[in-house]
Amino acid sequence: MAMLKVENLESGYGSMQVLWQPSLEVEKGSITSLLGPNGVGKSTLLLTVLGVVAPSGGKITYEDLDVTRMPSHDKVDLGLTLVPEGKHLFPSMTVHENLLMGAYRKEARRHREESLELVHALFPILKEREKQVAGSLSGGQQQMVTIARALMTKPKMIMMDEPSQGLAPKLVGEVFETIEKLKEEVGLTILLVEQNAAASLDAADYVYIMHEGRIKAEGKPEEIKGSSEIREAYLGV
Amino acid sequence: MSARPGKYLALIPVLAAYLGMFVFGRVQPDMWQLVAMLAFYCCLGQAFNLFLGMTGYVDFGYVAFVGVGTYGMALTLSRLSGVEGIGFGALVIGLLAAAGMSAMLSIAVGAVALRLRGAYFAIATIGVNEGFRYFIEGARIWNGSEGIIFSKDLRAIFGRETAIALSTFWADVFVIVIGASAAVVTLIYMRSKIGFALTALREDEDAAKVIGIFVTKYKIIAFITSAVFAGLLGATAWALKLTYVYPPDAFEIHYTVEAIIIVMLGGAGTLLGPVVGGLLYGLSKYWLAIILPGFQLLIFAPIILVIIVAFPEGTVGYLKKKVRGTALERYIV
Repeated sequence: MAMLKVENLESGYGSMQVLWQPSLEVEKGSITSLLGPNGVGKSTLLLTVLGVVAPSGGKITYEDLDVTRMPSHDKVDLGLTLVPEGKHLFPSMTVHENLLMGAYRKEARRHREESLELVHALFPILKEREKQVAGSLSGGQQQMVTIARALMTKPKMIMMDEPSQGLAPKLVGEVFETIEKLKEEVGLTILLVEQNAAASLDAADYVYIMHEGRIKAEGKPEEIKGSSEIREAYLGV
Repeated sequence: MSARPGKYLALIPVLAAYLGMFVFGRVQPDMWQLVAMLAFYCCLGQAFNLFLGMTGYVDFGYVAFVGVGTYGMALTLSRLSGVEGIGFGALVIGLLAAAGMSAMLSIAVGAVALRLRGAYFAIATIGVNEGFRYFIEGARIWNGSEGIIFSKDLRAIFGRETAIALSTFWADVFVIVIGASAAVVTLIYMRSKIGFALTALREDEDAAKVIGIFVTKYKIIAFITSAVFAGLLGATAWALKLTYVYPPDAFEIHYTVEAIIIVMLGGAGTLLGPVVGGLLYGLSKYWLAIILPGFQLLIFAPIILVIIVAFPEGTVGYLKKKVRGTALERYIV
């Protein structure tokens, strides 16, 4: 069953159209990967799905509900959230306060303690660093806080924008392990945007290739890996 | 983040400062004008901080709210002076009109400008103040460029003695009360969901959005609250005290600049910052005017520059860091 369905989405910034009717589906309980070079609209797609950027056309369906025009804060209540690109945390708050902020919505707050337990089990270091100001953490730990804070919203589906960006190779592996754990152990549905095509292809159940605001190819990871044409044209691997 | 004992202890130093100003002015009556000036700057900073400090957005048209509030009181007093036995009712209506008119202007401006982020918001608001001033003059509403002189109306409503007491003493007392009230509201916001949402959006607006914070709503709440206090300040510190209003005075842009300086000097987003900033700014301005009359602005600019470079978080922001983890933490907020 498709948890998220995007049909012929159009959006952009002012008069600059970025998305030219891409369509995609994210199966419940899967990791779906969206690949493509920089500047093709992957981040814009995620932001539009969440409602941070307003769509100018097309349709977004989440759990059989038309959410095309729904504002982002209502979507968070429905269990959809986004880990934005770059390390978007609240730098002057402590690690603990950052996590609590994640449970800002009423629905999320009700599950705050269990969410905290889950997050501390996934990232034990965040429990240790609880009282530290988030801005003083290392890059990898900051990325953990961003992911952990998203988990505090009590999501059913989580969209991740370049979670491994700027991390040391060893940490990149850890991020991907976490993503797979979120799917296997927590049962989340994940839409993953990554520049690290190789690791992304290994983790994904299904892959879309995006270019110039459009979906150019799709398929199971093996199919994408098997097609030298796609790899050379869009992925450079 | 949850309810904890003593979460309102931080009110003690800030309210003590306002009370201290009043007491000092009563004990030293010849210093009352200095107290009035200091109270004005503290209150201006306290009101502006509710928006600039809490959201991190800079509104260059801020003085427009003070100006509109001034008109609210001036219009009320000049129109109601003929009503038999209205007395202090006119003051209440004037304050309500000031608050209402600045709230309406803030909704109109906010609905458009608050959709813009950061610097774009700042640029958009520059025009609001000048635009509103020329609108009053050009469209000849509210007596146009002639302004409103209502000292006669004030005397007609309250009698000569009371009218004088109102503009020479009570207007300043009201300013102190308004500043203190703005401080109370600031702390209530800080300790509630509103404050957490505002802190989050100030630190990272995108992060605030993806965890489900309706950022526009909280920006508008802060904007309206801040505007209402600005309007009340205008109604008392300018209208009631001066008993006249002219468009160029009411929309004088340098008050916006002073408000920004006070908030930055004291510490944006802190509770105690505007009082510290207001006192520092007001006292230095007063002192420089005595020792080097005419040169105060020339000297003041580099002093402010140095302070802002040395203490980017403002005086109170710096102190807050120093007392983190100590018993003073609850008082310096």
